[in-house]
Amino acid sequence: MSIKTALSTKTDLQDVINDLQEQLKDVEANLIVFFASSIFVPDEIAKRVDAAFPQAVTFGCSTAGEIISGRMLTHSVVAMAFNRQSVKAVKAVVLEDLNHDSHDAFTVLEQHFGSPMEELDPKQYVGIVLTDGLSGKEELIIDRIGDLTNVNFIGGSAGDDLKFDATYVYANGRSYSNAAVLALIEPSDAFTFVKTQSFSRLPQKLVVTKANEATREVLEFNHKPAAEAYAEALGTTVADAPNHFMHNPVGLVFEDEPFVRSPKLIKGDSLFFYCSVVEGMELSLLESTDIIADTKKALETARQELGGISGIINFNCILRTLELGQKGLSDAYGELFNIAPTIGFSTYGEQFIGHINQTATILVFR
Amino acid sequence: MAGKIKQMIDAIITQRAKDNAMLVGVIKTKLLLKGIDPNKFNAQSVDDPAIIAKLEAVIKELK
Repeated sequence: MSIKTALSTKTDLQDVINDLQEQLKDVEANLIVFFASSIFVPDEIAKRVDAAFPQAVTFGCSTAGEIISGRMLTHSVVAMAFNRQSVKAVKAVVLEDLNHDSHDAFTVLEQHFGSPMEELDPKQYVGIVLTDGLSGKEELIIDRIGDLTNVNFIGGSAGDDLKFDATYVYANGRSYSNAAVLALIEPSDAFTFVKTQSFSRLPQKLVVTKANEATREVLEFNHKPAAEAYAEALGTTVADAPNHFMHNPVGLVFEDEPFVRSPKLIKGDSLFFYCSVVEGMELSLLESTDIIADTKKALETARQELGGISGIINFNCILRTLELGQKGLSDAYGELFNIAPTIGFSTYGEQFIGHINQTATILVFR
Repeated sequence: MAGKIKQMIDAIITQRAKDNAMLVGVIKTKLLLKGIDPNKFNAQSVDDPAIIAKLEAVIKELK
């Protein structure tokens, strides 16, 4: 594999482009993945990055912070370049209307790769999905992808530096909102996935007995008002419960693996989440553990599985980034990724098999 | 009647996993995230019409 990263902390877009071109000048790139702070004008950065690498497919998104080998950043642009020794083939398509079925986008991918999506080998192909992080449509997209193919799609929801105004995805020289980029990649060598979250399961169970899935609202847990039941599980008051959101989210636990659902706010008796919850789901109360130790262990497992790592793309939840910042651990987290060329960003949600929260979904290339 | 839900779940897993053990876990997780915990049903599970309707919808969507 031949994967190289680039970084610019400049604020003038032409300076940023010059930095990326200079740092990647030795790579005959056929794919550029880039993540950019929301300080850059979406249409401009999409167009200029694409023009700077005319032989490459380019895609990316706006962020709530960037990651590169060894560092966590803000207000920067990070990029990863692949050449034909690292990626045999790639196609990026855009779902321009998230209310529309993703099947049409898959038709384009099928035409490009010459095979029905359901027949593609998940060991040979990998997908990346980047979604407008304020659309609230991630579940629909990742769920539909899972219906149509066994190829694993991994990714994150675009951010906007915690402004919560507008987020953008970029592909092939254009920017889009209320949209998602689906990129199908055929790497030249093996790859694997890391899904890591730092929580232990507590014994308290919350069964969703009344919910509005579309608005990510739980009205009742255990046949009680949701806010009251969550506070009761914590042993605190409804008024104090939001102070526990970051350290005590809930999780759908399957064979000891939690799929985290993070509470967003209490409104009336309801509890709103950053991802959807379905009636009948049995959720466990979770308690935060050690992000640094858990991520280090997960990366080491991936390294052992692959026998070496040539590149990493990290979709790291903004809530993890905030927690790391609060604990003074941002540098320690960034240093974990000194093991290989890495880019990533702080997301408004993560995708792997489903849409999840407070997780890092990580694509690892050998 | 009992056992239909388990049969439907097994059929979905067989159809999609095609003997690929790695995919079995992924497909079970997909079902879980759709609100159906595959490990909760066995041959004795009551044929709950709501769960059966949910699984029928899943089968219709799956390619």
